[in-house]
Amino acid sequence: MEKMLEIGAKAVNYAQKLGVDEAEIFLYMENFTSVKFVGGVFASRSGAVKGIRGMLVRIAEPWIKKKGIPMITSGIRAGVGIRAVINKAIGFSSVSSLEEKRVLDAVEEAVKIAKVRPPDPNWCSLPEPEKPTHEGGIFDKKISGLDVEEMLQLCVDCCVAAGDFDKKINQAITAVFATSTYFSIVNTRGIEMSDKGTFFSGFVSTKAKSGTEEASSSDFLTSRTFTEDVRSIAISAAQRTMECFGRKPLSKKHVGTVVFENMSWSQLFSTIFAYGISSFNVQENRSILKGKIGKQVAKEDVSIVDDGTLPEGLGTSKIDDEGVPRQKTLIIDKGVLHGFLYDNYSAKREKQESTGNASRRKMFGAAAYANQPKIQPSNLILQPGNSGLESLISEVKDGVLVKGSLIGAFHSNVVTGDFSVTAENVFKIQNGTIVYPLKPCTIAGNFYAALNSIVNLGNDLKSFQNIMCPSVVVEKVVVST
Amino acid sequence: MDKALEHALKIGADFAEVKGEDTVTRSVEAVNKEVRIVSETHNVGIGVRVFYGKGIGFSFSNILDKEKVCSAVETALKIARASARKTLIKFKLAEVEVVEEKKSTKVHLHPRDVALEEKKDLCLRQCETAMAGNKQIANVTSAFKEYYGTIYYSNTEGTKVSYEPLLIGLRITCVAKKGKTIVDAMDYHGGSFGLEVFKEVSRTPEKLAENAAKWAIEKLKAKAAPAGRFEALIDPRLAGVLAHESFGHLSEADFVVIGASPLTGKIDQALGTEMVTIVDEGLPSKGGYSIYFDDEGVPCSRVEILKNGVLSYYLHSRETAKALKMKPTGNARSQDYSFEPIVRMRNTYFDAGDWKPEEALSELKQGIYAVDTAGGQVEDTGNFLFKAVRGYWVENGELKYPLRDVALTGNILELLKNVDAVCNDLEIFSNPFGGCGKMEQRVFVGTGGPHLKVKNVLFGGAR
Repeated sequence: MEKMLEIGAKAVNYAQKLGVDEAEIFLYMENFTSVKFVGGVFASRSGAVKGIRGMLVRIAEPWIKKKGIPMITSGIRAGVGIRAVINKAIGFSSVSSLEEKRVLDAVEEAVKIAKVRPPDPNWCSLPEPEKPTHEGGIFDKKISGLDVEEMLQLCVDCCVAAGDFDKKINQAITAVFATSTYFSIVNTRGIEMSDKGTFFSGFVSTKAKSGTEEASSSDFLTSRTFTEDVRSIAISAAQRTMECFGRKPLSKKHVGTVVFENMSWSQLFSTIFAYGISSFNVQENRSILKGKIGKQVAKEDVSIVDDGTLPEGLGTSKIDDEGVPRQKTLIIDKGVLHGFLYDNYSAKREKQESTGNASRRKMFGAAAYANQPKIQPSNLILQPGNSGLESLISEVKDGVLVKGSLIGAFHSNVVTGDFSVTAENVFKIQNGTIVYPLKPCTIAGNFYAALNSIVNLGNDLKSFQNIMCPSVVVEKVVVST
Repeated sequence: MDKALEHALKIGADFAEVKGEDTVTRSVEAVNKEVRIVSETHNVGIGVRVFYGKGIGFSFSNILDKEKVCSAVETALKIARASARKTLIKFKLAEVEVVEEKKSTKVHLHPRDVALEEKKDLCLRQCETAMAGNKQIANVTSAFKEYYGTIYYSNTEGTKVSYEPLLIGLRITCVAKKGKTIVDAMDYHGGSFGLEVFKEVSRTPEKLAENAAKWAIEKLKAKAAPAGRFEALIDPRLAGVLAHESFGHLSEADFVVIGASPLTGKIDQALGTEMVTIVDEGLPSKGGYSIYFDDEGVPCSRVEILKNGVLSYYLHSRETAKALKMKPTGNARSQDYSFEPIVRMRNTYFDAGDWKPEEALSELKQGIYAVDTAGGQVEDTGNFLFKAVRGYWVENGELKYPLRDVALTGNILELLKNVDAVCNDLEIFSNPFGGCGKMEQRVFVGTGGPHLKVKNVLFGGAR
């Protein structure tokens, strides 16, 4: 990282020589390993399995435990992203290299781009240096030194464990990802900062068949440290699959109580709410929360914070991707809206302070250095309640339990908060107990309306990347087939 | 790269290959004469694939010092060894000739020699033209994008090739508004060209802008397309998408190997009328995206997938060719150095026939002229649904009035049997804005064809 700072300083000097008003260099390196293992298909049912190297392979051999299709990739992604500002016009360029010559070439390119762009009247200046208030997130040395063989074995074990859970399980896929990241930011206002972090995630999906009925489900975990808990995820994925057998159709459209398991709710929470609390979206009139600071926007039991200082949080770091210290920001306190998330640009546009929420990370797509900073939550937390999922269910007279992943959550209307998703793991609740699984259902509602009709929150806070939330019970949700 | 291969053999690999990349992607976008986006990404790195026993290992790095490159090789071998013990089945690589060659596309105005200012002007000129005097045009977006650089490939069998990919494109979208009706239309041009291509009379930024504006305004008064079965004239752009999306994917041998494609086991069978030939190749004689070698170092050969209506060949990587006892075709491609190659198309098109387009039109008694497509969906059974961008109602060989909501549905294998005229106006299109996605990898492709006349096409049937 010292070397990254050194290159960054050279690049900033070079940009100044080229006559920029301001410049910022974001240097990034990640060491990434992905191990995926497709295990097991029944002998008699020579089914097709999506497999290795883009190839679908018909496996007609018996369910050979501990053998299947491994798919492993490991590599280093490194690069820099450069912002050059001339007369309020911002030029951005990036290069996937930390070599001095290439970095300086990219600086020249950013300057050229700034010169052809029109000035941005809302631009004030790059951030000034500020001392971080905390130590940042966990860096687990075990992750940076992980052995692929050990990771593959873990995946194989998980597939076997899932297969052993029930004979009806005919396919299991396990994937684990381990990443260590290092980044530095140098700008012309004097920021020279670095941080590093480690990330680990595990994912298990299982399919099962019984007669003509098929079911599939999955579970996953994310963590800052290496954990063998993936094994318990395998069992839980298998369990989630098996409990779907014996599905009945929904007898009639249900408008009423729905219990969203933490995983299901987190998808709506992260897609819709994270959009609505971005100050940029508020400024651009794209958030329903505009003008509601100080007002009641949710039930009194609802409190939401964004906390970039939690050591175990996936979104924690000393500084954000512009070099501003991460902090804890109160969003909703007992139902009352307190504030929004800011990066440097949106903060200065309305003479506020950045809340340290600039991020260049994307879950899919280009590596961090190739993206310009955008407002994103650090760790967005919906504060938990007091009871477990079972006890939440026990208080529901007539309702529906929604578990697992929601198809279409990411296509929700982020401006209005309307959602309409398909859930495959759905259950009928009667008099406080789960009576039977339901065939896939459509769940529709409005997220912001739901914030006002949350009647209960679970104590089962779970982490989904940088979103943490418990299970919730919501009224007035529409469930149909 | 040589060192990496040497190192791979030294530490015990059966086979190793390295892909190196040094490419630039640059784009400019202007909305209503205001330059909104200018971005540039320089992609440099190497990917290493190592075979060991039944196992395959892949690793990549874009830090290119000796230590990091060797460690990528070691990681790939480590992965291959670990995988070997857990792998159920694997196909070997088909044998190929050793090749040593360097290729590049020669153009007059290579984008690397043209100032950014001029590319910005292309976009501004488009906005200017589209907005001038057209009150109904509410919004104009113009984009220019370019991709170029060098791709290197070497393997331990001795193959060592490189080529300079080049792809540029200019695109304009006009939104027209009248009352509550909002419609849009688009025109574009692109391929492995130099910027001189935008000086051709029919391809100037102004011409493209005029077309988009004209089509958008025309669409304001378009009538809804009738539903039902009609005779259809399909334009070269829509023909290209049909060739690629609905037929080409079925001919990718990775789907054939496991029997997932409806083309499995149908070599030498007649699937279409005699006049239909569908080709996939790296270097079409005009237009498209020029690819000299695939990412296994195999020269891109011209494949007539369908020849005079008869299924003749599949698209192969070395692995699938071995599995099906055929010859590799140079269809193993990866998005960039950080991905492994998989079976992909290159430039896929209906080959030219001998009808003149005006003859084909005059033969159309009553039907729909369907132009270009804004998307749709295909299934691996060959079923498709495509929404044409524009359409016209045709009677007795004359375009009567414009149509909107022109959607075609059907199965490609049926459609091929209903093609009764293939014209001589073959065009191949490619641009850097989109690309074809498969298994999380996106690659640039070309698509095309001439005008096709097809009987009995189902319109408006949203299934």
